[in-house]
Amino acid sequence: MSSTGHQWFAVRRDLPPGRRLTLTILSFVLPLGIWCFFSYVPWIWHPDVRIELSADREDVTTVFTAGDHVSRDYFPTFVQAVRDENAAVMALRDSGAAESGAKRKNQKLLRQLAPLAIANGWLPRGEEQNDAALYTLWRDLATGAKVSAKPVLTEENLKIVRDNWEKMSAISPEFSFKTLPETTLLKLLPQGKPANPAYLPEPHQVIITGYHDFTAEPANDAPSMGERYRSSLRIILLGFLWACAIGIPIGILCGVFDFFSKLFEPFIDFFRYMPAPTFSTLLVAVLLAGDAPKIALIFIGTFFQLVLVVSKTTRLLEPSLLEAAQTLGAKPRQLLAHVVLPGILPNLYNDLRILLGWAWTWLVIAELIGVKSGLTEFIETQGRFRNFDRVYPVIILIGLTGFISDQFLAWLHGLLFPWAGKSDRFSRNLVRSITWPVRTLAAAIRKRLAGSPPASV
Amino acid sequence: MSSPLLPDYRTQSPEVAARFERLRAREVALSVRGLTKNFETPRGIITALNDVSFEVHKRELLSVIGPSGCGKSTLVRILAGLETATSGEVRVYDQPVSGAGPDRGMVFQSYTLFPWLTVKQNVMFGPKIAGRSNYHAESEARQWIELVGLTKFENSYPHQLSGGMKQRVAIARALANQPRVLFMDEPFGALDAQTRCQMQSYLLEIWKNVDITIVFITHDLDEAVYLSDRILVLDANPGRVRELIEVPVPRPRSFQQFVEPEFISTRHHIDSLIHPTQSHVREEFPVLKFTKDDPDVV
Repeated sequence: MSSTGHQWFAVRRDLPPGRRLTLTILSFVLPLGIWCFFSYVPWIWHPDVRIELSADREDVTTVFTAGDHVSRDYFPTFVQAVRDENAAVMALRDSGAAESGAKRKNQKLLRQLAPLAIANGWLPRGEEQNDAALYTLWRDLATGAKVSAKPVLTEENLKIVRDNWEKMSAISPEFSFKTLPETTLLKLLPQGKPANPAYLPEPHQVIITGYHDFTAEPANDAPSMGERYRSSLRIILLGFLWACAIGIPIGILCGVFDFFSKLFEPFIDFFRYMPAPTFSTLLVAVLLAGDAPKIALIFIGTFFQLVLVVSKTTRLLEPSLLEAAQTLGAKPRQLLAHVVLPGILPNLYNDLRILLGWAWTWLVIAELIGVKSGLTEFIETQGRFRNFDRVYPVIILIGLTGFISDQFLAWLHGLLFPWAGKSDRFSRNLVRSITWPVRTLAAAIRKRLAGSPPASV
Repeated sequence: MSSPLLPDYRTQSPEVAARFERLRAREVALSVRGLTKNFETPRGIITALNDVSFEVHKRELLSVIGPSGCGKSTLVRILAGLETATSGEVRVYDQPVSGAGPDRGMVFQSYTLFPWLTVKQNVMFGPKIAGRSNYHAESEARQWIELVGLTKFENSYPHQLSGGMKQRVAIARALANQPRVLFMDEPFGALDAQTRCQMQSYLLEIWKNVDITIVFITHDLDEAVYLSDRILVLDANPGRVRELIEVPVPRPRSFQQFVEPEFISTRHHIDSLIHPTQSHVREEFPVLKFTKDDPDVV
């Protein structure tokens, strides 16, 4: 590496902008890539089999339906068990023994194809019990009029389809419960494909279910995702704003006057070690169900930290600025308004950004107390059903909201505090254009005043 | 200590002597009497200033110099009202003062400009605090900014200025308040050598054009001699007045005077007051050799 060339690993040296951007993008692509790698490379991990075509077993209470996961070791046993049951049926059939009363069983067996029909788009969701349509599907698959792509039926299963259709069509080409065969039909053997555990769904699965959950009209009285999102935002913002409204003045007073510091800070310092969630039942008892205890929990979680952080920030203000103002004749109240407040504002703003991040962590607990609500209620419920592909989009939504709002606020920092010296040219120009009318007006007024100075001059 | 080749620093030319005569006849702007400052520490009481008394006349430029730890910063902070003295009295134009006030301006070594205000707004700070109208404060501020030559930068923020420019703004801000005495606590100490020289000339120029009495704290001998009418030399541990020297260098001052005999003798004398043990220190250097003798390196 030449002495002028930039090294990737120079101790405490900034990389050139191009490389920084590359690494920033990579920092997001890398974890996504790892996720994709584990999800889409079939021989990596994949300890489960996701069932695409299931079969009910005789005298076994555990029922697997399409979409369920079974362990890779167990799946062949499952398939073999169904195969054995089929063999038993065949044996019975070959023995020529008269058989009856299998209509009900056969109707259930017909429906074995339902998940496959839905996956292939031949049957709308919710029509799992449309026996007439399924009956025709058996015919189409047997004659080869339709070929399933998801999943591709094994030779063994196709043979079973044809075999069954032979039995069924011999009696009736159309579905009718009465005309179902009296003899037991063969079961399709379970089919599935390697899959990772339910807690690691594939990325595309997460995107699809996420899109579905965010756009779908919710069932019953359940709130839509948009309503949940707004309710969560409302709780967090109200809790945070209350904490700010009370905490910032106290924090500044503590930072400026030793009197308030000694009066408030010791207790606050003690109180903040009591975890906010431990007050949850108390808050519900006092404030009853609804949003109030949730907002109060976020308040408790942020308020005490906020006071201490703000007082520390206030104390960090360059003392020589206060002295300079004093030698210019500023009285204590003027010091507070004209020096302390504007002086700490940029740092205070950054403190609040960090504390808003903390408030997000309290949100999850807040939404679980009393009547569960908001995004967390969804996460909690779906998590219990192990529907992690529905959980992740919501978690990502919370993450994105926090991240984007923080990035936005960081950018706004440069805009609001150009004098802090961190603003880029774009922000400065933006401010200049936004404030242009005001500045022009002020300049005009000044000119007018300068033209005709007051009589006292 | 003084070299036989140099005149005594007390020798004054007739013009200089006459000037000091006139200066002494002026009104006393600042009088300090019996100023003592004790600090209480866990290891007992430390006396930072011990019975310091002196007077500064109207429109005089007095420097305070002394070895480190002589309490010159403590002294100026007490005078500006930022700290309280244990005992003693400070009078400005015969009025006893306590606490900070707009009658005593201060320029600090660290740039104490308010970073959230533009140059103009910084200069307007004092008058605005005093309740003057925006219009008056602004038109006055413009004049002070012009005085320190920063009209082009009146709408800049401090972080956009160089160190020397920041100190010029600080001076303008202090002067805009029209204090009766201006304290300057090593104002050019943080600047590079070139800027410092420039700023010293600037200060003399400003002082010439503004009716102001200046008390200037420094540790730089050349700076003290170049700027001052009189130099108050302090002793360390405890800080007390060693000598109050009348600088025999005629005004107007210029950098050419640095090599003139009265300049050198005054500088030499103060040096011997502040660093009396310097020759001892040199003798105590260990004599170790890490390389061969080189006739070109002595």
